[in-house]
Amino acid sequence: MLFGLKKNCGVLGLSLLFILTGFASGVMGSHTNNWAVLVSTSRFWFNYRHMANVLSMYRTVKRLGIPDSQIILMLSDDVACNSRNLFPGSVFNNKDHAIDLYGESVEVDYRGYEVTVENFIRLLTDRWSEDQPKSKRLLTDENSNIFIYMTGHGGDDFLKFQDAEEIASEDIADAFAQMYEKKRYNEILFMIDTCQANTMFSKFYSPNILAVGSSELDESSYSHHSDVEIGVAVIDRFTYYTLEYLEQIEKNSTLTLQDLFDSYTFEKVHSHTGVRTDLFQRDVKDVLITDFFGNVQNILPEGDVIGSPAEIDEELDNDIKALVQLALERKLQHAINNTANGAATAPEKEEEETNETQFKTVSVENINKLDNLKSSNDLNVSSNKWNHILVALSCVVMFTILHTMGKKLDIATA
Amino acid sequence: MTSLITLRKSVALSFVALYLLIGVPLWYKLTTIYRASLPIEYIQDLYNNKFKEIHLTIPVFVKSDTYRFPDIHDAVQIQVNHLLRSKRQYVDWSLEIFPYNETIIDQATARGDDYHIVDLVLDEFVGYNLPYDSKTTIVYFDDTSVASNDLPFFIAQTLVEHTFELEWNHWSLKPDQNEPEQLANSDIAVNYNPNIHLSMSLLNGDGSPVAWEIDNTLKNIFTPFREMISPLVNFTVDAQIAYYNDLNLYQLNNVSNPTWHDLSHVIDLSELSTTNYFVEQNAINLVIVFPGKETNLDGLQFVNTNEENQWGSFIVPQWGVLIVNKSPLEDNALVTENYLNPIMLKFVKDLLRLLGVLDTKDKELSSPYIVIDSVKRIRIIDNLNKAVETLWSLIKLTHQFQQMAIPQEVLEDITNALDMRLELIDLLNNPHVGSNMDWNKALLMSNEIVKSCEKAFFHGEMLQQNFFPQEHKLAVYLPLLGPLSVVIFSGVKALFNEKKSESEEDITSKDEKKGLEEDIAEELKETKELGAIDDKDSISTPASTD
Repeated sequence: MLFGLKKNCGVLGLSLLFILTGFASGVMGSHTNNWAVLVSTSRFWFNYRHMANVLSMYRTVKRLGIPDSQIILMLSDDVACNSRNLFPGSVFNNKDHAIDLYGESVEVDYRGYEVTVENFIRLLTDRWSEDQPKSKRLLTDENSNIFIYMTGHGGDDFLKFQDAEEIASEDIADAFAQMYEKKRYNEILFMIDTCQANTMFSKFYSPNILAVGSSELDESSYSHHSDVEIGVAVIDRFTYYTLEYLEQIEKNSTLTLQDLFDSYTFEKVHSHTGVRTDLFQRDVKDVLITDFFGNVQNILPEGDVIGSPAEIDEELDNDIKALVQLALERKLQHAINNTANGAATAPEKEEEETNETQFKTVSVENINKLDNLKSSNDLNVSSNKWNHILVALSCVVMFTILHTMGKKLDIATA
Repeated sequence: MTSLITLRKSVALSFVALYLLIGVPLWYKLTTIYRASLPIEYIQDLYNNKFKEIHLTIPVFVKSDTYRFPDIHDAVQIQVNHLLRSKRQYVDWSLEIFPYNETIIDQATARGDDYHIVDLVLDEFVGYNLPYDSKTTIVYFDDTSVASNDLPFFIAQTLVEHTFELEWNHWSLKPDQNEPEQLANSDIAVNYNPNIHLSMSLLNGDGSPVAWEIDNTLKNIFTPFREMISPLVNFTVDAQIAYYNDLNLYQLNNVSNPTWHDLSHVIDLSELSTTNYFVEQNAINLVIVFPGKETNLDGLQFVNTNEENQWGSFIVPQWGVLIVNKSPLEDNALVTENYLNPIMLKFVKDLLRLLGVLDTKDKELSSPYIVIDSVKRIRIIDNLNKAVETLWSLIKLTHQFQQMAIPQEVLEDITNALDMRLELIDLLNNPHVGSNMDWNKALLMSNEIVKSCEKAFFHGEMLQQNFFPQEHKLAVYLPLLGPLSVVIFSGVKALFNEKKSESEEDITSKDEKKGLEEDIAEELKETKELGAIDDKDSISTPASTD
């Protein structure tokens, strides 16, 4: 009878767990962390707009919760600090200078001449020398969704880097293949804003990659407008309207990438945007914008995780207490053994032994404390006011003594 | 004259010979991408039959104080083998049952080591018990079970289905299954790594000074636990206090029952990820957050408290644990050890879930030593699998990208990993090896194997972009090869042309001489015909007159 009752409880618990797991899986999707790689490949003041493009994306992904440690920003020039910038420390994308894209805290991972084809490929494939800092590496895993954004001057199947070299579409495709082989991503959203941008994802062949570009073969991408005060074109049309759309997105948005792609029209962008979905397994209509542009971390209350009544969990709590106590006992035993061995083998280490003994005394007290854990759970946050008063009084007394002694010393010297 | 031309000719030819016989091969050799010869077939064979040479054996000693059972270990061995063969196993594993050997056990105990032991205790009923503080399985038996000869089966069943429950459940494959499922709650647990960083943060929504007795809590609760679990995962720990950061909890001030949606979208953990720098690739966080007094004077309504705890706990999958306190802190507050201890115990529990040691379905952890021991073995096999997968990926890539360099170091790392793998397999297959320290050593070795394989895969020089594509090679070196070729070959050509022209000149002069002689001869003939000159007199003979 008792067994039957337990079994029923178990079934109920399992059902609850199933419901919650299903619920949770709906929440979590198939990824647990988000990364962004944002690359501007052009130098010089007149390419201001490429920096603004990248910073537009940086602003968005940061606003939607991707931490700086998971954003790799490759900024090929520093227009914010360019001597020709009428607004030092700022990068604007619109006429009324409403949004300062540079913001208050920009963490640039690769700057200036560090933005090279080699570094970009190394970043994707994670092939570095041992001294490469962690902050400049793409430490993704099979649970990572990666948003990769590139902008610069491009052509048929290539994108120019730094006026000196170029990356071919095959190079990026091969890098993605290597990433896939080592399970370095769950899904990739590849977005590119250059002339003939759509050619850059034509050679991709690895699965789970969704790609969008600003213009098709033999077609230019255009800048949005020139700013009179800044003196150059400040942003490209494709990115301008992307940012405009993304500005309305919050972390809890239910808008999908299909909605974003539908917002691109020829009237706005002045070129034919392209989307490649054949490698992507999910329907774009089901992919939330925040799946790539945000980092929505699931925060699960204890009950949801366990899916069990609290009284059952109590048993586990007691087991954990026993485990911790056991670990403490083992540690003590180990210390005692060490002391005994030390006394037998090295009598000259008297000082160390004393320390061990002191340590043991402290630890024994702690065991008793552990026993009393249950009864000592009250919020015991005491005020330190009295401590402060005592410290202040002590200071006054010390000062007085020193002052008096000083006077006496003066008298004696005189 | 002739010798000078010959000398020039031989010099030019020696240049051509130098160019063609030494220069070109040397250029080709020096510009060819180095590709070390990898053991492709061996790795492919390993990939196709990952565990074919592994027969993992776990020694178990059977001890009986009451009765002497001289052949109980053989009988149990037969039953264990039979039981294990009843299901298809992912990896070939078995228990090696030995009679209790006091010498071995005492030696192990003296060095702080232990083995799996089955302690047979005569009682009035049949049952088993797994103590929480050792790797001993106590099996209770009665005389009836001895008389009916059920005891060996019962011991075998206890061992396989209870003591080694984790291995049995994890490695037993269903008919349509080729690989086992993830160890435990893969959607919550972080990827296994032998080194993980722990970041503990106390966040205060206000700026009033706060102190916390984290040192004592760590020393009394966490450090012993950390040391106990260190063979499996080695933790480095940091602790910090941050002010004016309540993770946006103030937005949930008036929400009494927030959904996962509210929590996930409001609470902002992004800033915490960037505050600390640590070497380890993975990190687990413990965040204890107090709401600000100004924004949440009455505390957070949604935090369900009880008599014991004034906080609520949340798990963030693959990230860590969030402890949200209901009430804000007083000014200049001290968060005491007594307040932190239950939080730390909660964290230890969730940490075991985040490490995949404890499943979300588990309602108890009555024998942690045995569980941790089993997890070690599962991680060893997982590591071996991961290492072979990495090597196979590397082989596939080197095959796909023919321009990819394969440095010697890659070959050395692979060889090292394969050698260590064989050494580890010897250790796993040895039925006499299997104490706690042996499993620690085996896990350490398997981690080294994975590290070596990853090092080979991610070698910095193995980058396709480092080298020019072969079809561009000539174009790239043309500025060097062009002038050299032009100078050498045009020089030789000019020399030969010069010689040729000289020969032509000789022929021309000969022809001219011949022509002159013919002209003279004709003139002479004409003169003779006129009788002006005696045929016998030569031209050289001067004419004489009277």
